Amino acid sequence: MIELLDAGRWTTVQDRGRPGLERYGIPPGGAADWFAAAVANRIVGNPPDAALLECTAAGPTLRFDAGAVVALTGGYSAGAPTWQMLRIAGGSSLALGTIAPGLRTYIAVRGGIDVPLVLGSRSFCQRGTFGGGFGRPVQRSDRLAVGRLGDHEPLAAPWPESHRLPARGPWEVRVIPGPQLDAFAEDALQRLTATACRVTPEIDRMGLRLATPGLRLQPREIVTVPMTAGAIQVIPSGGLIVLHVDHQSTGGYPVIATVISADLPLLAQARPGDTVRFRSVEQDEAARAHHRLTGWLELDP
Amino acid sequence: MWQVTPAGDQALLVTVGRTIDPSLLGQVLALDKVLADRRPSGLISTVPAYASLLCHYDPEVTDAARLEASILQLEGHVDAAMALGSVVDVPTRYDGPDLPRVALETNLTPAAVIEMHAGREYLVYCVGFAPGFTYCGALPEQLSMPRLASPRLRVSAGSIGIAGRQTGIYAVESPGGWNLIGRTALRLFDPAADPPARFKPGDRLRFIPTS
Repeated sequence: MIELLDAGRWTTVQDRGRPGLERYGIPPGGAADWFAAAVANRIVGNPPDAALLECTAAGPTLRFDAGAVVALTGGYSAGAPTWQMLRIAGGSSLALGTIAPGLRTYIAVRGGIDVPLVLGSRSFCQRGTFGGGFGRPVQRSDRLAVGRLGDHEPLAAPWPESHRLPARGPWEVRVIPGPQLDAFAEDALQRLTATACRVTPEIDRMGLRLATPGLRLQPREIVTVPMTAGAIQVIPSGGLIVLHVDHQSTGGYPVIATVISADLPLLAQARPGDTVRFRSVEQDEAARAHHRLTGWLELDP
Repeated sequence: MWQVTPAGDQALLVTVGRTIDPSLLGQVLALDKVLADRRPSGLISTVPAYASLLCHYDPEVTDAARLEASILQLEGHVDAAMALGSVVDVPTRYDGPDLPRVALETNLTPAAVIEMHAGREYLVYCVGFAPGFTYCGALPEQLSMPRLASPRLRVSAGSIGIAGRQTGIYAVESPGGWNLIGRTALRLFDPAADPPARFKPGDRLRFIPTS
């Protein structure tokens, strides 16, 4: 068992989420930085769908009843080395401390965090207040069971820096235009990609609100449509909301462009005040970017 | 004309129209069913809403152009007539915090608002936004109200609201900007149920006043 001596700012159990249930209003969820989470599981030898802890801004302090093999990835932690296997002795504790650069650190434990599956996933769903073991973020004194997953040997060497994503901004984020590009003036996308957007403090797993200094796009109204993670909604009063993994399943603001799946991890690590620049790309570049990351995951460093 | 546009690198959005209209929802649901039956290769899941259908695909198996072609060849070949099921009764206590203001702004008595809201059948156009949230239409023109200028941070599960020509039911506690006129004890979302949402697009319901 793992006991939470301190829960950190916002620590939740996540896995790969529950995509495919959006028709019931359920967000896909899962780790916001899917790449870092996949690497963490890879390092400890877990299968890719093992549940882990997602920590935000300030990490938790964990006490391990029994010895454990652990890996931290994603945002860098003040209290422990990241992107490498750690052996934790039984009875000892691990304090992550402040997370920076980056915003979210993943803690994978060999065996996986064992909480009950809800609708096919162990992920905490904030909108529905279910999953994640407790139907809420973890709290001090919670105890988490460790599962029996772990089908590969842990990686002895640290995960190579060449196979990590940037940890700090400014962020260049690639987008595919649309799906509601035709709700905007012809030059709107060009004006958007020429704008240095600023991450506001209003960020969570549902989405990030970005300020767009000097840019005001005025789209026509649309009938409510289904939404995806990465959808860049243009808000009539100004600014953007970029939806993330716990996004609303439908929405009424037109989407000018959609962040490619390979760059969603960058937005999971962006912090308030960071600059985001969007760059429009074609499908083949998006596919190459995705292959690059999945290829890294298959590598044997 | 159906329009197919990319929604990122792993989904396509099929838009069959730009208004809230039962016949457009009929086309969306018919397309949804045909795709569920035929399962074009690489299609993972779909999300219907009003006049559009989102199609998630696996880019390792198919690509946007191929999936778009297999969708567009169905245009004109789907049966858009909706199968009409029975009408579900939603027992409703009309004691919402916004009922007096809605009455004032529509020049009706609260009793007349209730009678008008409860006095018709509604079509479910979409389940979305939050788990189980049920969007229904069409609300009588006379009850059409703008959303709240500043949304409530917390609307309790079961709350029934109106906004524009629509009425909706909050299935879980969430923020919300609709004018709340009542609530129901009917449970609309249960993660342990199959399916987890009580309603789906194409269902019909009516609100039954209770005291």
